[in-house]
Amino acid sequence: MAARRKYPKGTVMLSIGTKRGLFLLTSKDRRTWKAEGPYMVGYRVYHANLDLRNGPRLYAAANNDFFGSAVRYSDDFGRTWKEPEQGIAFAEDSGLSLKNLWIVEPGRPSEPETVYCGVDPAALFVSHDRGQTWAMNQGLENHHTRRRWEPGNGGLCLHSIVAHPDNPRRMWVAISAVGVMRTDDGGQTWKFCNKGTRADFLPDKYPEFGQCVHRLLIHPTHHDVLYQQNHCSTYVSDNSGDSWAEIRNNLPSDFGFPMAMDPQDPDTLYTIVENPEGRTNVTNQFTVYRTQNAGRRWERLTKGLPKGPTVRLGVLRHAMSTDSRDPCGVYVGTNTGQLFGSRDRGDSWRLIADFLPPIYSVTATVL
Amino acid sequence: MADGSAPAATIRLPGPLRERAGRRASVPARGATVRALILDLDQQFPGMRFQLCEETGNLRPFVNIFLESENVRDLQGLDTPVPDGGTVHILLAVAGG
Repeated sequence: MAARRKYPKGTVMLSIGTKRGLFLLTSKDRRTWKAEGPYMVGYRVYHANLDLRNGPRLYAAANNDFFGSAVRYSDDFGRTWKEPEQGIAFAEDSGLSLKNLWIVEPGRPSEPETVYCGVDPAALFVSHDRGQTWAMNQGLENHHTRRRWEPGNGGLCLHSIVAHPDNPRRMWVAISAVGVMRTDDGGQTWKFCNKGTRADFLPDKYPEFGQCVHRLLIHPTHHDVLYQQNHCSTYVSDNSGDSWAEIRNNLPSDFGFPMAMDPQDPDTLYTIVENPEGRTNVTNQFTVYRTQNAGRRWERLTKGLPKGPTVRLGVLRHAMSTDSRDPCGVYVGTNTGQLFGSRDRGDSWRLIADFLPPIYSVTATVL
Repeated sequence: MADGSAPAATIRLPGPLRERAGRRASVPARGATVRALILDLDQQFPGMRFQLCEETGNLRPFVNIFLESENVRDLQGLDTPVPDGGTVHILLAVAGG
Protein backbone atom coordinates (compact mmCIF):
# COMPACT_ATOMS: atom_id res chain seq x y z
CA MET A 1 0.00 0.00 0.00
CA ALA A 2 1.21 3.47 -0.81
CA ALA A 3 2.12 5.54 2.19
CA ARG A 4 -0.72 7.63 3.51
CA ARG A 5 -0.27 11.32 3.48
CA LYS A 6 -0.39 12.83 6.89
CA TYR A 7 -2.71 15.67 7.71
CA PRO A 8 -2.85 17.38 11.09
CA LYS A 9 -5.76 16.35 13.27
CA GLY A 10 -8.67 18.69 12.73
CA THR A 11 -7.84 19.35 9.09
CA VAL A 12 -10.94 19.91 6.98
CA MET A 13 -10.87 18.03 3.70
CA LEU A 14 -13.24 18.99 0.92
CA SER A 15 -13.83 16.33 -1.71
CA ILE A 16 -14.90 18.18 -4.83
CA GLY A 17 -16.49 16.07 -7.55
CA THR A 18 -16.46 17.79 -10.94
CA LYS A 19 -17.15 17.18 -14.59
CA ARG A 20 -13.43 16.63 -15.07
CA GLY A 21 -12.32 14.63 -12.08
CA LEU A 22 -11.90 14.99 -8.35
CA PHE A 23 -10.12 17.71 -6.39
CA LEU A 24 -9.19 17.60 -2.71
CA LEU A 25 -8.86 20.82 -0.77
CA THR A 26 -7.48 20.84 2.75
CA SER A 27 -7.18 23.45 5.45
CA LYS A 28 -6.39 23.50 9.12
CA ASP A 29 -7.65 27.02 9.78
CA ARG A 30 -10.31 27.13 7.03
CA ARG A 31 -8.75 30.36 5.74
CA THR A 32 -5.99 29.06 3.49
CA TRP A 33 -6.64 26.01 1.40
CA LYS A 34 -4.32 23.66 -0.38
CA ALA A 35 -5.63 22.03 -3.55
CA GLU A 36 -4.58 18.59 -4.77
CA GLY A 37 -5.62 16.85 -7.93
CA PRO A 38 -7.34 16.62 -10.24
CA TYR A 39 -7.62 12.89 -9.92
CA MET A 40 -9.43 10.78 -12.51
CA VAL A 41 -9.61 13.61 -15.03
CA GLY A 42 -11.43 11.45 -17.54
CA TYR A 43 -14.33 10.89 -15.17
CA ARG A 44 -17.43 12.84 -14.25
CA VAL A 45 -17.29 12.48 -10.49
CA TYR A 46 -20.89 12.95 -9.37
CA HIS A 47 -20.10 12.39 -5.70
CA ALA A 48 -17.20 11.54 -3.43
CA ASN A 49 -17.10 10.67 0.22
CA LEU A 50 -14.20 10.16 2.61
CA ASP A 51 -15.10 7.32 4.97
CA LEU A 52 -13.18 7.41 8.25
CA ARG A 53 -14.88 4.47 9.96
CA ASN A 54 -12.26 1.86 9.22
CA GLY A 55 -9.21 3.83 8.26
CA PRO A 56 -9.59 6.58 5.67
CA ARG A 57 -10.99 5.35 2.38
CA LEU A 58 -12.07 7.82 -0.24
CA TYR A 59 -14.93 6.64 -2.45
CA ALA A 60 -15.83 8.29 -5.75
CA ALA A 61 -18.90 7.78 -7.92
CA ALA A 62 -16.88 7.93 -11.12
CA ASN A 63 -18.66 8.06 -14.48
CA ASN A 64 -16.74 7.70 -17.71
CA ASP A 65 -18.27 8.70 -21.02
CA PHE A 66 -16.51 5.91 -22.86
CA PHE A 67 -16.06 2.94 -20.57
CA GLY A 68 -18.89 3.12 -18.03
CA SER A 69 -19.09 3.81 -14.33
CA ALA A 70 -17.53 2.40 -11.17
CA VAL A 71 -17.22 3.30 -7.51
CA ARG A 72 -13.48 3.74 -7.36
CA TYR A 73 -11.71 3.99 -4.03
CA SER A 74 -8.41 5.25 -2.71
CA ASP A 75 -6.65 4.52 0.57
CA ASP A 76 -3.97 7.17 0.05
CA PHE A 77 -6.06 10.30 -0.44
CA GLY A 78 -6.27 10.05 -4.20
CA ARG A 79 -2.74 9.10 -5.20
CA THR A 80 -3.80 5.65 -6.35
CA TRP A 81 -7.24 4.27 -7.12
CA LYS A 82 -8.73 0.80 -7.18
CA GLU A 83 -11.80 -0.58 -8.84
CA PRO A 84 -14.15 -3.20 -7.41
CA GLU A 85 -13.62 -6.88 -8.08
CA GLN A 86 -17.34 -7.06 -8.83
CA GLY A 87 -18.64 -3.65 -9.78
CA ILE A 88 -22.07 -2.13 -9.99
CA ALA A 89 -24.05 -3.49 -12.93
CA PHE A 90 -27.55 -4.62 -13.75
CA ALA A 91 -28.32 -8.23 -14.56
CA GLU A 92 -27.81 -8.96 -18.24
CA ASP A 93 -31.38 -10.18 -18.64
CA SER A 94 -32.86 -7.10 -16.95
CA GLY A 95 -32.88 -5.00 -20.09
CA LEU A 96 -31.32 -2.19 -18.05
CA SER A 97 -27.92 -0.66 -18.37
CA LEU A 98 -26.14 1.60 -15.93
CA LYS A 99 -26.13 5.26 -16.92
CA ASN A 100 -24.52 7.04 -13.99
CA LEU A 101 -23.56 6.57 -10.37
CA TRP A 102 -25.07 9.40 -8.32
CA ILE A 103 -24.12 8.99 -4.70
CA VAL A 104 -21.89 6.86 -2.53
CA GLU A 105 -22.65 6.81 1.19
CA PRO A 106 -20.89 5.01 4.02
CA GLY A 107 -23.23 2.84 6.07
CA ARG A 108 -24.00 3.04 9.77
CA PRO A 109 -21.26 3.23 12.40
CA SER A 110 -22.29 -0.28 13.45
CA GLU A 111 -21.56 -1.66 9.97
CA PRO A 112 -18.12 -0.25 9.15
CA GLU A 113 -17.63 -2.48 6.10
CA THR A 114 -20.88 -1.40 4.46
CA VAL A 115 -21.20 1.22 1.73
CA TYR A 116 -24.26 2.19 -0.33
CA CYS A 117 -24.51 3.59 -3.83
CA GLY A 118 -27.45 5.11 -5.68
CA VAL A 119 -27.56 5.00 -9.47
CA ASP A 120 -29.47 5.89 -12.62
CA PRO A 121 -31.66 4.06 -13.63
CA ALA A 122 -32.94 4.16 -10.08
CA ALA A 123 -31.49 1.38 -8.00
CA LEU A 124 -29.73 0.92 -4.71
CA PHE A 125 -26.53 -1.09 -4.52
CA VAL A 126 -24.77 -2.23 -1.36
CA SER A 127 -21.29 -3.43 -0.60
CA HIS A 128 -20.46 -5.24 2.62
CA ASP A 129 -16.73 -5.39 1.98
CA ARG A 130 -15.77 -1.73 1.66
CA GLY A 131 -16.54 -1.44 -2.01
CA GLN A 132 -14.88 -4.56 -3.40
CA THR A 133 -18.09 -6.31 -4.41
CA TRP A 134 -21.57 -4.86 -4.94
CA ALA A 135 -25.07 -6.28 -5.05
CA MET A 136 -28.36 -4.69 -6.06
CA ASN A 137 -31.22 -4.30 -3.59
CA GLN A 138 -33.89 -6.53 -5.11
CA GLY A 139 -36.76 -5.22 -3.01
CA LEU A 140 -36.54 -1.77 -4.52
CA GLU A 141 -35.88 -3.02 -8.03
CA ASN A 142 -38.87 -5.35 -7.92
CA HIS A 143 -41.23 -2.74 -6.48
CA HIS A 144 -44.67 -3.19 -8.02
CA THR A 145 -44.69 0.39 -9.35
CA ARG A 146 -41.19 0.25 -10.85
CA ARG A 147 -42.36 0.28 -14.48
CA ARG A 148 -44.28 3.53 -13.87
CA TRP A 149 -41.34 5.53 -12.53
CA GLU A 150 -40.47 8.56 -14.66
CA PRO A 151 -37.12 10.34 -14.80
CA GLY A 152 -36.43 13.95 -13.88
CA ASN A 153 -34.29 16.24 -15.97
CA GLY A 154 -31.12 14.61 -14.62
CA GLY A 155 -32.34 11.09 -15.24
CA LEU A 156 -34.11 8.48 -13.12
CA CYS A 157 -31.57 8.91 -10.40
CA LEU A 158 -31.44 7.58 -6.85
CA HIS A 159 -29.50 10.46 -5.34
CA SER A 160 -30.03 10.41 -1.58
CA ILE A 161 -29.50 7.52 0.82
CA VAL A 162 -30.28 7.92 4.52
CA ALA A 163 -29.63 4.95 6.78
CA HIS A 164 -31.34 5.18 10.17
CA PRO A 165 -28.38 5.48 12.52
CA ASP A 166 -29.67 3.02 15.15
CA ASN A 167 -32.21 0.84 13.37
CA PRO A 168 -30.47 -1.39 10.84
CA ARG A 169 -33.80 -2.32 9.25
CA ARG A 170 -34.84 1.24 8.42
CA MET A 171 -33.56 3.31 5.52
CA TRP A 172 -34.84 6.03 3.21
CA VAL A 173 -33.90 6.72 -0.39
CA ALA A 174 -34.87 9.63 -2.63
CA ILE A 175 -35.38 9.25 -6.38
CA SER A 176 -36.07 11.89 -9.02
CA ALA A 177 -38.86 11.95 -10.06
CA VAL A 178 -40.36 9.26 -7.89
CA GLY A 179 -40.08 10.65 -4.38
CA VAL A 180 -38.98 9.35 -1.00
CA MET A 181 -39.19 5.66 -0.17
CA ARG A 182 -38.59 3.87 3.11
CA THR A 183 -37.86 0.32 4.13
CA ASP A 184 -38.54 -1.01 7.62
CA ASP A 185 -37.42 -4.57 6.99
CA GLY A 186 -33.84 -4.21 5.89
CA GLY A 187 -34.60 -3.53 2.25
CA GLN A 188 -36.98 -6.38 1.50
CA THR A 189 -39.94 -4.05 0.93
CA TRP A 190 -40.24 -0.32 0.34
CA LYS A 191 -43.12 2.11 0.81
CA PHE A 192 -43.64 5.61 -0.51
CA CYS A 193 -43.23 8.53 1.89
CA ASN A 194 -44.58 11.45 -0.13
CA LYS A 195 -47.76 12.49 1.66
CA GLY A 196 -47.96 16.27 1.71
CA THR A 197 -45.29 16.95 -0.94
CA ARG A 198 -46.41 18.49 -4.21
CA ALA A 199 -45.86 17.55 -7.82
CA ASP A 200 -46.97 20.71 -9.60
CA PHE A 201 -46.02 19.22 -12.96
CA LEU A 202 -48.57 16.36 -12.72
CA PRO A 203 -52.36 16.47 -13.09
CA ASP A 204 -52.69 15.13 -9.53
CA LYS A 205 -50.63 17.55 -7.43
CA TYR A 206 -50.39 15.16 -4.47
CA PRO A 207 -49.83 11.70 -5.97
CA GLU A 208 -48.64 8.65 -4.07
CA PHE A 209 -45.40 8.88 -6.04
CA GLY A 210 -43.95 10.95 -8.88
CA GLN A 211 -42.60 13.83 -6.78
CA CYS A 212 -39.30 15.35 -7.79
CA VAL A 213 -37.37 15.29 -4.54
CA HIS A 214 -33.95 16.89 -4.90
CA ARG A 215 -32.19 16.21 -1.59
CA LEU A 216 -33.00 14.35 1.64
CA LEU A 217 -31.43 14.81 5.10
CA ILE A 218 -31.99 13.30 8.55
CA HIS A 219 -31.76 15.08 11.89
CA PRO A 220 -28.63 13.77 13.63
CA THR A 221 -30.27 13.18 17.01
CA HIS A 222 -34.04 13.09 16.37
CA HIS A 223 -34.12 10.32 13.85
CA ASP A 224 -37.81 10.64 13.04
CA VAL A 225 -37.14 14.10 11.64
CA LEU A 226 -36.29 14.44 7.96
CA TYR A 227 -35.86 17.42 5.67
CA GLN A 228 -36.09 17.62 1.92
CA GLN A 229 -35.45 20.20 -0.75
CA ASN A 230 -37.79 19.49 -3.60
CA HIS A 231 -38.57 20.70 -7.10
CA CYS A 232 -41.76 22.07 -5.52
CA SER A 233 -40.79 23.59 -2.16
CA THR A 234 -38.96 22.72 1.04
CA TYR A 235 -40.36 20.25 3.57
CA VAL A 236 -39.97 18.70 7.02
CA SER A 237 -41.32 15.45 8.37
CA ASP A 238 -41.45 14.67 12.08
CA ASN A 239 -42.80 11.15 11.64
CA SER A 240 -40.12 9.37 9.62
CA GLY A 241 -41.57 10.49 6.31
CA ASP A 242 -45.15 9.35 6.87
CA SER A 243 -46.21 12.94 6.12
CA TRP A 244 -44.54 16.23 5.30
CA ALA A 245 -45.15 19.89 6.11
CA GLU A 246 -44.00 22.75 3.91
CA ILE A 247 -41.31 25.02 5.38
CA ARG A 248 -40.71 27.29 2.43
CA ASN A 249 -42.17 30.25 4.33
CA ASN A 250 -40.21 33.35 3.23
CA LEU A 251 -37.90 31.61 0.74
CA PRO A 252 -38.21 33.42 -2.61
CA SER A 253 -38.63 30.27 -4.71
CA ASP A 254 -40.01 26.75 -4.48
CA PHE A 255 -37.18 25.40 -6.55
CA GLY A 256 -33.79 24.39 -5.23
CA PHE A 257 -31.39 21.49 -5.17
CA PRO A 258 -28.96 21.37 -2.24
CA MET A 259 -29.55 21.26 1.49
CA ALA A 260 -27.17 20.99 4.43
CA MET A 261 -27.33 21.11 8.21
CA ASP A 262 -25.23 22.45 11.06
CA PRO A 263 -24.41 19.29 13.00
CA GLN A 264 -23.83 21.36 16.15
CA ASP A 265 -27.30 22.86 15.88
CA PRO A 266 -29.57 20.72 13.69
CA ASP A 267 -32.34 23.32 13.67
CA THR A 268 -29.97 25.28 11.47
CA LEU A 269 -30.37 24.35 7.82
CA TYR A 270 -28.92 25.77 4.64
CA THR A 271 -30.40 25.73 1.17
CA ILE A 272 -30.09 27.56 -2.12
CA VAL A 273 -33.25 28.24 -4.06
CA GLU A 274 -33.21 29.28 -7.67
CA ASN A 275 -35.20 30.67 -10.52
CA PRO A 276 -36.75 27.43 -11.82
CA GLU A 277 -36.41 28.41 -15.47
CA GLY A 278 -32.82 29.64 -15.38
CA ARG A 279 -31.76 27.44 -12.47
CA THR A 280 -29.61 30.23 -11.05
CA ASN A 281 -29.91 32.80 -8.27
CA VAL A 282 -33.31 34.46 -8.08
CA THR A 283 -32.02 38.05 -8.01
CA ASN A 284 -28.69 39.61 -8.98
CA GLN A 285 -27.33 38.60 -5.56
CA PHE A 286 -26.05 35.05 -5.21
CA THR A 287 -27.55 34.00 -1.89
CA VAL A 288 -27.36 31.12 0.55
CA TYR A 289 -30.42 30.79 2.76
CA ARG A 290 -30.23 29.75 6.43
CA THR A 291 -32.84 28.96 8.99
CA GLN A 292 -32.01 28.69 12.68
CA ASN A 293 -35.47 27.47 13.69
CA ALA A 294 -36.03 24.46 11.44
CA GLY A 295 -37.55 26.42 8.59
CA ARG A 296 -39.96 28.78 10.32
CA ARG A 297 -37.99 31.72 8.97
CA TRP A 298 -35.11 31.92 6.49
CA GLU A 299 -32.24 34.44 6.49
CA ARG A 300 -30.46 35.70 3.42
CA LEU A 301 -26.69 35.14 3.66
CA THR A 302 -24.83 37.36 1.22
CA LYS A 303 -21.71 38.78 2.90
CA GLY A 304 -18.81 37.92 0.62
CA LEU A 305 -20.97 36.38 -2.09
CA PRO A 306 -21.03 37.92 -5.58
CA LYS A 307 -23.64 40.33 -6.84
CA GLY A 308 -24.31 41.97 -10.19
CA PRO A 309 -26.30 41.80 -13.37
CA THR A 310 -24.06 39.08 -14.78
CA VAL A 311 -23.98 36.92 -11.66
CA ARG A 312 -25.97 33.80 -12.46
CA LEU A 313 -24.79 30.82 -10.48
CA GLY A 314 -26.33 27.38 -10.19
CA VAL A 315 -25.70 24.88 -7.42
CA LEU A 316 -26.41 21.19 -7.92
CA ARG A 317 -27.94 18.90 -5.33
CA HIS A 318 -24.74 17.50 -3.81
CA ALA A 319 -22.70 20.68 -4.07
CA MET A 320 -23.28 22.04 -0.58
CA SER A 321 -21.82 20.61 2.60
CA THR A 322 -21.07 21.48 6.21
CA ASP A 323 -18.19 20.38 8.38
CA SER A 324 -18.46 19.15 11.97
CA ARG A 325 -16.34 21.84 13.59
CA ASP A 326 -17.79 24.49 15.89
CA PRO A 327 -18.69 26.98 14.52
CA CYS A 328 -19.48 24.90 11.50
CA GLY A 329 -18.06 25.56 8.08
CA VAL A 330 -20.36 25.72 5.08
CA TYR A 331 -19.17 25.05 1.53
CA VAL A 332 -20.92 25.68 -1.78
CA GLY A 333 -19.74 24.74 -5.27
CA THR A 334 -21.31 26.09 -8.45
CA ASN A 335 -21.85 24.45 -11.78
CA THR A 336 -19.57 27.11 -13.26
CA GLY A 337 -16.62 26.19 -11.07
CA GLN A 338 -16.61 28.57 -8.12
CA LEU A 339 -16.15 27.19 -4.61
CA PHE A 340 -17.30 29.39 -1.73
CA GLY A 341 -16.69 28.73 1.95
CA SER A 342 -17.77 30.10 5.29
CA ARG A 343 -16.03 29.39 8.60
CA ASP A 344 -18.69 31.14 10.70
CA ARG A 345 -21.92 29.26 10.00
CA GLY A 346 -22.60 31.23 6.86
CA ASP A 347 -22.35 34.73 8.33
CA SER A 348 -19.56 35.57 5.89
CA TRP A 349 -18.13 33.91 2.81
CA ARG A 350 -14.95 33.78 0.78
CA LEU A 351 -14.13 32.44 -2.64
CA ILE A 352 -11.94 29.42 -1.89
CA ALA A 353 -11.27 28.41 -5.50
CA ASP A 354 -12.30 29.50 -8.97
CA PHE A 355 -12.10 28.18 -12.51
CA LEU A 356 -12.77 24.62 -11.46
CA PRO A 357 -14.69 22.43 -13.89
CA PRO A 358 -18.43 22.39 -13.23
CA ILE A 359 -18.85 21.23 -9.64
CA TYR A 360 -21.18 18.31 -9.03
CA SER A 361 -20.49 17.64 -5.35
CA VAL A 362 -18.83 19.01 -2.25
CA THR A 363 -18.28 16.83 0.79
CA ALA A 364 -16.56 18.14 3.93
CA THR A 365 -14.79 15.80 6.34
CA VAL A 366 -12.83 16.66 9.47
CA LEU A 367 -9.76 14.45 9.75
CA MET B 1 -7.46 -17.81 -22.30
CA ALA B 2 -10.08 -19.13 -24.65
CA ASP B 3 -9.97 -22.36 -26.62
CA GLY B 4 -6.42 -22.74 -27.92
CA SER B 5 -7.68 -23.74 -31.32
CA ALA B 6 -9.61 -20.48 -31.77
CA PRO B 7 -8.08 -17.85 -34.03
CA ALA B 8 -5.51 -15.66 -32.32
CA ALA B 9 -5.65 -11.91 -32.69
CA THR B 10 -3.71 -8.96 -31.44
CA ILE B 11 -5.75 -6.41 -29.51
CA ARG B 12 -4.57 -2.81 -29.47
CA LEU B 13 -5.83 -1.05 -26.34
CA PRO B 14 -6.46 2.66 -25.81
CA GLY B 15 -4.68 4.40 -22.94
CA PRO B 16 -7.53 4.31 -20.40
CA LEU B 17 -7.83 0.50 -20.67
CA ARG B 18 -4.17 -0.32 -20.40
CA GLU B 19 -4.00 -0.13 -16.62
CA ARG B 20 -6.42 -3.04 -16.42
CA ALA B 21 -4.18 -5.01 -18.80
CA GLY B 22 -0.97 -4.54 -16.86
CA ARG B 23 -0.16 -1.27 -18.63
CA ARG B 24 0.23 -3.05 -21.95
CA ALA B 25 -0.73 -1.31 -25.18
CA SER B 26 -1.23 -4.59 -26.98
CA VAL B 27 -2.41 -7.98 -25.77
CA PRO B 28 -3.16 -11.31 -27.44
CA ALA B 29 -6.63 -12.84 -27.39
CA ARG B 30 -8.39 -15.78 -28.98
CA GLY B 31 -11.83 -15.95 -30.51
CA ALA B 32 -13.61 -16.48 -33.79
CA THR B 33 -15.62 -13.26 -33.51
CA VAL B 34 -15.21 -9.85 -31.93
CA ARG B 35 -17.69 -10.91 -29.24
CA ALA B 36 -15.59 -13.97 -28.44
CA LEU B 37 -12.45 -11.84 -28.28
CA ILE B 38 -14.12 -9.55 -25.75
CA LEU B 39 -15.09 -12.54 -23.62
CA ASP B 40 -11.52 -13.77 -23.74
CA LEU B 41 -10.25 -10.34 -22.78
CA ASP B 42 -12.65 -10.35 -19.84
CA GLN B 43 -11.30 -13.69 -18.69
CA GLN B 44 -7.77 -12.38 -18.85
CA PHE B 45 -8.60 -8.98 -17.38
CA PRO B 46 -11.80 -9.14 -15.33
CA GLY B 47 -14.04 -6.15 -15.84
CA MET B 48 -12.88 -5.45 -19.38
CA ARG B 49 -16.18 -6.55 -20.92
CA PHE B 50 -18.17 -4.13 -18.75
CA GLN B 51 -15.94 -1.32 -19.94
CA LEU B 52 -16.59 -2.18 -23.57
CA CYS B 53 -20.21 -3.32 -23.47
CA GLU B 54 -23.34 -2.32 -21.60
CA GLU B 55 -25.16 -4.92 -19.52
CA THR B 56 -27.52 -5.45 -22.47
CA GLY B 57 -24.55 -6.77 -24.43
CA ASN B 58 -24.39 -3.84 -26.83
CA LEU B 59 -21.12 -2.12 -27.51
CA ARG B 60 -20.91 1.15 -25.54
CA PRO B 61 -21.84 4.05 -27.82
CA PHE B 62 -18.52 5.86 -27.62
CA VAL B 63 -16.33 2.80 -28.03
CA ASN B 64 -15.21 1.89 -31.53
CA ILE B 65 -13.70 -1.44 -32.49
CA PHE B 66 -11.86 -1.75 -35.78
CA LEU B 67 -10.84 -5.00 -37.42
CA GLU B 68 -7.76 -3.87 -39.27
CA SER B 69 -9.08 -0.60 -40.77
CA GLU B 70 -12.82 -1.41 -40.78
CA ASN B 71 -15.19 -0.34 -38.03
CA VAL B 72 -16.99 -3.50 -36.97
CA ARG B 73 -20.23 -1.51 -36.79
CA ASP B 74 -19.96 -1.37 -40.60
CA LEU B 75 -19.38 -5.12 -40.76
CA GLN B 76 -21.33 -7.55 -38.57
CA GLY B 77 -20.94 -5.75 -35.29
CA LEU B 78 -19.80 -7.94 -32.43
CA ASP B 79 -20.48 -10.99 -34.61
CA THR B 80 -17.84 -9.94 -37.12
CA PRO B 81 -15.53 -12.92 -37.82
CA VAL B 82 -11.90 -12.40 -36.89
CA PRO B 83 -9.25 -14.18 -38.96
CA ASP B 84 -6.28 -15.85 -37.38
CA GLY B 85 -3.51 -13.30 -37.00
CA GLY B 86 -5.85 -10.34 -37.27
CA THR B 87 -5.37 -7.05 -35.47
CA VAL B 88 -8.23 -5.47 -33.58
CA HIS B 89 -8.07 -1.84 -32.50
CA ILE B 90 -10.19 -0.62 -29.60
CA LEU B 91 -10.56 3.15 -29.82
CA LEU B 92 -12.39 5.98 -28.18
CA ALA B 93 -14.94 7.55 -30.51
CA VAL B 94 -14.47 11.19 -31.39
CA ALA B 95 -17.09 12.48 -29.00
CA GLY B 96 -17.65 16.16 -28.56
CA GLY B 97 -16.09 17.91 -31.51
